[in-house]
Amino acid sequence: MKARFFLWLLLVLSSTVAAGPPVIEIEIKDHLFYPDEVRIPADTKVKLLVKNLDPTAEEFESYELNREKVIAGNSEVIIFIGPLSAGEYPFFGEFFPKTAQGRVIVE
Amino acid sequence: MLLNAVIIILREVLEAALIVSVFLALSQLLNRKLWWMLIAMVMGFAGAYVYAINLSQISMALEGTGQEVLNASLHSLIFICLLIFMISVPHQARPGWRRLNLFTIVLAVIIAIVREGSEIILYIKGFYGIPELLHPVLIGGAVGAGIGLSVGVFFYYLLVNMHKRSGIWLGYLMLLLVGGSMIAQAVEFMIQADYISASAPLWDSSHLVSERSAIGQLLYALLGYEATPAPQQAAAYFGSIALLVIAACVSFFFRSKSS
Repeated sequence: MKARFFLWLLLVLSSTVAAGPPVIEIEIKDHLFYPDEVRIPADTKVKLLVKNLDPTAEEFESYELNREKVIAGNSEVIIFIGPLSAGEYPFFGEFFPKTAQGRVIVE
Repeated sequence: MLLNAVIIILREVLEAALIVSVFLALSQLLNRKLWWMLIAMVMGFAGAYVYAINLSQISMALEGTGQEVLNASLHSLIFICLLIFMISVPHQARPGWRRLNLFTIVLAVIIAIVREGSEIILYIKGFYGIPELLHPVLIGGAVGAGIGLSVGVFFYYLLVNMHKRSGIWLGYLMLLLVGGSMIAQAVEFMIQADYISASAPLWDSSHLVSERSAIGQLLYALLGYEATPAPQQAAAYFGSIALLVIAACVSFFFRSKSS
């Protein structure tokens, strides 16, 4: 009975977690994005969790996505994107634009 | 690295310098003392430093939307300052209104420096531990700041040396554009934080003037140009400009009646 209850609880909890927008993790290391290409479904809101592993600050910026957010060194931020129509949306690190380049592909 | 530092610092300084120079010129044209400028700048940089060193905690506050909420609040506060400024100018014969008018100028300058200065401090602070990069970044930053400040100085002298009436009108017009841009940016931050739901852009003029181009960047600083604005952003932009115009007109109308 108890085991069943916990299974039920687990199911409920996981479904509430899944009910929020899907989370995609992006890391910044040596002024590069990992991964530098993110694929998301069209017309869906997505939560980007951007972790800056460098000691230097970075600014996540995208003209196409209309997003800009400063990330202090060795810290992380959350950025909501979408719902978007299909297409390619480049983003970059404003502080290190030579290397920090990436794109969101909506399909 | 050097060129990159020039561009980043230029962008941030340009935005703050435009607001500061227009206010400075209008204060001059409205016969204000300019000593407050120094105090406002010192307070602005102190605030920018506090913002910069606490950025991580601010970002993670309010379920990861602290940075957006704070930036949207700063932009909105600048707009409110502009609104009260516009309302108080026609009544400046009265000492109370005059003090309020000066207070809005000082506050707007402080907030503008806090907002743009914090990004500059964060950017440069990142290079403290990397001496071989810190040097070019500081030189590049100084060049960028120099260019940005020059544009501010240019606008200041342009407004001050014009025929007084046209100077005040052009200054007002620039404040209207700054006001619209502030509210549009605040709305953009609220969309980014998911407090306002996102929708498809109202138009796409990126093939005409890209936001990446030098003209796009300048138009962004001057008018708050966006190549792909959300409908809410555009509505907020034009709505806030209309509000400023109406408030200024109503205030001016009542001044004429009472005097």
